[in-house]
Amino acid sequence: MALLRRPLLVLLLVVTHQFLQLWIVFGSVNEEGQKQEEFFEELLLKPLPDRKLLTHFHFQSSAPPSSNGRHHHLFPKAISQLVQKFRVKEMELSFTQGRWNYESWGGFDSIPSSNAKPPGVELWAVFDVPQHLIDALWKNLTHTLSGLFCASINFLESSTAYSAPEWSFPPASGNLRYGTLPREAVCTENLTPWLKLLPCRDKAGISMLLDRPSIYRGFYHSQRLHLTSTGSGSEGLDPGIILEQTLTVVLLPNSQRASLARASEKHIQPSWSLRSIFGKEVSGKCVLAENSNVYLLLDRGLVAELKQLHKEDEESAEKVLASENYWTNPIFELSAKPDRIFIEESSLLSKNSSILYKFEVEKYSESEPFDLGLTWKIPVVWLCQQAPLHASRFLMGSGNERGAIAISLKSTQSCEGFTGANFDDERCELRVDVFQVVPWYVKVYFHSLQVFVDQQPKAVSDIIEKIHVSPSKDKVSPGVMELVLKLPCSVSSAALTIEFDKGFLHIDEYPPDANQGFDIPSAIVSFPNFHASMVFLENDSLNKSPLLSKFQEKSPVMSYTEVLLVPLTTPDFSMPYNVITITCTVFALYFGSLLNALRRRVAEEERFLKDKAAKKSGRLPLLLSKLSAKLRGRHSEPPHSTPGSSSLVNSKLVFKVILVAGLAVCWQYYFS
Amino acid sequence: MAEISEAHDSDSSKLQDSGSEAPQRPESEPDFDPKITRKTKPGLKRLFLTFSVLFSFLLGFPFLWKSVEIYRSPLPFREIDSLSTQLRSDNLLFPLHFHALFVGFDSEPDSLRRSILSAIARLASQNPKCSNNYTLSVTVDLDSRCLRSPTSSPHSSTYQCGSITAADFVQNDDVAVDERLASVFGGKTKEYSVVVVKGGNERAVVGKHRHAWMVVGDGSEVEVAAAKVAELLVKVFINGGREEGSIRNEFMPVGADGKIVLSFNLLNADPRDWAYDRDFEKIDDTLLAPMIEALGPVANISVESQVLYHTPKASFSYWNQKLESYVFSTKDLPFFVNSNEWHLDTSIAAGGRSKILQFAVYVPSAKECPLLLQLLNGEISKTNGFISPMWGGVVVWNPQGCLKDSEFKSGAKNIIPIQDLENMFEVFIGQFRQLFGFKSVNVYAGASGDWNLLPSERGFTEWELDVLSRQHTCFNLHSCATTLGSLSRLVQSLPRMIIMDEIGKQVKFSLEAANLALSNASSRVYESSAASSSKASSLAEDAFFHPSIMSVSYYSFEHCFAVYSPFFLPVSMHVLLAALKELRRYKQEKAKNLAWKAKANSAS
Repeated sequence: MALLRRPLLVLLLVVTHQFLQLWIVFGSVNEEGQKQEEFFEELLLKPLPDRKLLTHFHFQSSAPPSSNGRHHHLFPKAISQLVQKFRVKEMELSFTQGRWNYESWGGFDSIPSSNAKPPGVELWAVFDVPQHLIDALWKNLTHTLSGLFCASINFLESSTAYSAPEWSFPPASGNLRYGTLPREAVCTENLTPWLKLLPCRDKAGISMLLDRPSIYRGFYHSQRLHLTSTGSGSEGLDPGIILEQTLTVVLLPNSQRASLARASEKHIQPSWSLRSIFGKEVSGKCVLAENSNVYLLLDRGLVAELKQLHKEDEESAEKVLASENYWTNPIFELSAKPDRIFIEESSLLSKNSSILYKFEVEKYSESEPFDLGLTWKIPVVWLCQQAPLHASRFLMGSGNERGAIAISLKSTQSCEGFTGANFDDERCELRVDVFQVVPWYVKVYFHSLQVFVDQQPKAVSDIIEKIHVSPSKDKVSPGVMELVLKLPCSVSSAALTIEFDKGFLHIDEYPPDANQGFDIPSAIVSFPNFHASMVFLENDSLNKSPLLSKFQEKSPVMSYTEVLLVPLTTPDFSMPYNVITITCTVFALYFGSLLNALRRRVAEEERFLKDKAAKKSGRLPLLLSKLSAKLRGRHSEPPHSTPGSSSLVNSKLVFKVILVAGLAVCWQYYFS
Repeated sequence: MAEISEAHDSDSSKLQDSGSEAPQRPESEPDFDPKITRKTKPGLKRLFLTFSVLFSFLLGFPFLWKSVEIYRSPLPFREIDSLSTQLRSDNLLFPLHFHALFVGFDSEPDSLRRSILSAIARLASQNPKCSNNYTLSVTVDLDSRCLRSPTSSPHSSTYQCGSITAADFVQNDDVAVDERLASVFGGKTKEYSVVVVKGGNERAVVGKHRHAWMVVGDGSEVEVAAAKVAELLVKVFINGGREEGSIRNEFMPVGADGKIVLSFNLLNADPRDWAYDRDFEKIDDTLLAPMIEALGPVANISVESQVLYHTPKASFSYWNQKLESYVFSTKDLPFFVNSNEWHLDTSIAAGGRSKILQFAVYVPSAKECPLLLQLLNGEISKTNGFISPMWGGVVVWNPQGCLKDSEFKSGAKNIIPIQDLENMFEVFIGQFRQLFGFKSVNVYAGASGDWNLLPSERGFTEWELDVLSRQHTCFNLHSCATTLGSLSRLVQSLPRMIIMDEIGKQVKFSLEAANLALSNASSRVYESSAASSSKASSLAEDAFFHPSIMSVSYYSFEHCFAVYSPFFLPVSMHVLLAALKELRRYKQEKAKNLAWKAKANSAS
């Protein structure tokens, strides 16, 4: 029975499929009651320990699947066309200026692990097409994005500029392409097209705060665009797309206090308000947004410190922090009353939980704009949560011939609590993934990979569990190294070194200002056993906030290392011409002397010499006579020089000089 | 020194060619002066040597020239020239055939034909670029028999005598008459027919197909009818019913690759007041799809749509108390489109040289609602919209609630009512027709009377599409010829420009397509000739804008000179000087020898 039914079912499927396609052809997909396109805007503010302030703008637009791709209500047309044309499954593009300071700004939260990006441009994309088509699509995609965002992303087109990581890059998949441009300068011309993708641009809502001078004055800013297309296009429907745009800025608020002279106030964190940092206020939400919220996040370390300050009434600290009027307390004061307070659900890893204040922008209007201010009353010192290991990378060696890259991982003291990731204490291991791309002109010798744990050299096979290497091909592809390290939990420092030779480039391949050096893109160090996630207790409204649901997602902790600058031997760029000139001169000399030798008449010259010798009695008497003539002040007359011949010589010389001068004049005249 | 002199002494006898023997026996010949005479013939060895070096040097120059030569694919310059001369010399003729049928008239078809032809000749202003080659046949239907002129015309024979009677035109339903005529004449023939019927209430209608009919009163003269028919044929069927000189005739809003992207934008000036959306899918299916299908042979059209917010217009409007609305006058129209805030992006889906036509619906904000466009004569525009040639069109749509702002909820998502939307898109189709140069009204007002133009539900009627196809073919062929001509001139003027093989291929294919279009046009296959002409023009553009032409187009003579002069300058000095010296010496020695010989002769 079942056997009988199956072909029928298949047939039915085929028929409906065809019918569907037919439907599509006539463009008559018209399904009512579909999910609507949505837009959310959110802003997260977080005080950082080193007197700075993190502002994180988060905009999310989503287009449901099976909507007609030719018309969008809110979703940007350019992005949906891009997804359809290049069959992009997932893509992330980031423009970053500055370096995320993992030590003082933290490395364990969701924000650094997904928003701290390497300087310059980073682009990765996953395509929904067979392997052999990916490279062509990638090249077209880079060109399109470069037009869309006014950036030189098209330099990622060349196969030496991008790579295909196998498994170490987090959204690992065979259809992934990854490329970075560390030297791309990021400025307003990249921000404006990014803003154009928002339905309200910077005309209304939270994005009104995006004041260009304030943003670009910051210590770090990273503008990111992440899109995921859900649902496959195989059913003939257009895929649903979720477009997530974030802008992460680290700013130093100008202290509002007039009297900084007092010594005690120097240690107080600077107070700030939205007006003081951006010079603008939010006058109401973008009417197209589903919701529009501003959050203030006090992270775990800060909350622990605050509790410490409340020591006197410890049992009530928790209550005080969550109580409704906590926003004015002895330590700090908020200028607006939060609409809601979330407390993070205590995780296994730490006893402390962070606190989130929510402000709804909807309630404010043009007449009563929203301005959030935070005033500290007493000095507070705390630390942000660190990733288990702090990664940094540097170059070793000197000279223009060879060198070595070292990646050093240092244990952060705060990570003791996190070792709970592996429960068995004897065999406790810390897994670290390293992904490193090197350009082809840095010729890495993979056999020279050395591993040091706590300054002791270790056998590579003991520490490295898995390794994938694709060696670079000259002028074709970069070298890619993917490693999985298993370090003991008690490790305090670990280092990887690998040696390389510096290659030579063709004279055409040098970029302008080659003496500046060549960049090696950041390595990515990720800790797959650690997940940055914050789960907030009050769940009822979470599904409406993409930012909070983003926090809940278990994203692996990632960090980027520094960009390295390798000086390569740069040629003297006029060298080819010099070489040509000197070679030609040598050839000409050789040629000339050969010709002279060939037409030399040895016998005749001998005869002339003899003649002269016969006429002159000797060299010494001649010299003497000349000398005596000079002494007497009279012109010595050589016995055989006739005046006629000397005048002839003179006229010849004059003629020659005139000829050369005439040639020079002609030359000048002709070429000017 | 001593050794050399010894050597010289030992083998001096061997050195026959040099003048060294002369001074060896000065005693034997007392009057012998080695400076002016010489006994032996001067030798040729060194002269030969230096000259062979010089000649091999000179022979090397062509090879050097060849080696620094750059690759140039041969382009068919002569074919390009012949194409443009062919187009210039009025060889691009579109043959048209007209058929005039007179029902109920009792007159000679020959005289009718003559009068119509003379009227056509008077009216037809020859388009300087594309001309038409028309033939005319006239049939007079007298119920039982037909009188035809010319009697042996292959075209008029398709008409069956008596199949159209005056009774067909009694009813006032123009669409039904149109269908009836289409069934009689058959939709497939490419001839244009005009039926003139006597009796009934007077009217003149141009149908959706290639037919027109005219009902005249009983007493009217046949000559008047003939003049009107001639005007119809020339002004409507040939020229598409457009006024001379309104928009230049060859102006077509079609991209160089034969594609048009219609980008429909709904602009909400201020979403804080209200934000509107529209049901685009429905409109796309009902109104746009048939039009796109109909225009298929002329252009490949794709449609996209978006809604934009916070897009105020760039100029101010003024409150008019009498009209109780804000008025935007025509003279400010150039400042209506706000290119800073209206980010009507170019399409990613469209290829590089597609033409994008923007059609924008502007929903004014509460501060300027209702907004009306005022014509130059003070009247209010009926469509409340305007076009900008080669850019697109704008329609201002005032929401219902803006007069009585009572039930309006701020920021609520509203949908434009479907009735309004349909009206709006009809205006857009009218604007689209205007961008193509057609009229948006359904009446053609000629000198000898008005013609009603029956509108097609596809936006463009068959005869209009014919006009477009002809015009498109003509425009494309001319632009193809111009582009190829410029390319050939450019290539010939820059002898050191690299020309890739691909460019040569593109030029060749473009020429082939252009010739195909020419032959198709002369055999009245308008659609395929339009298609191949657009292919020809797009290939010509491809060749002209090939990236390799743009980039390293040539490397300079100065560069060449700088590289080769360090070698050739010193070496050529040596070689030339050596050759000159040897030549001079040879002449000198020869003269000495001759002098000696003369002396010897005189002495002996």
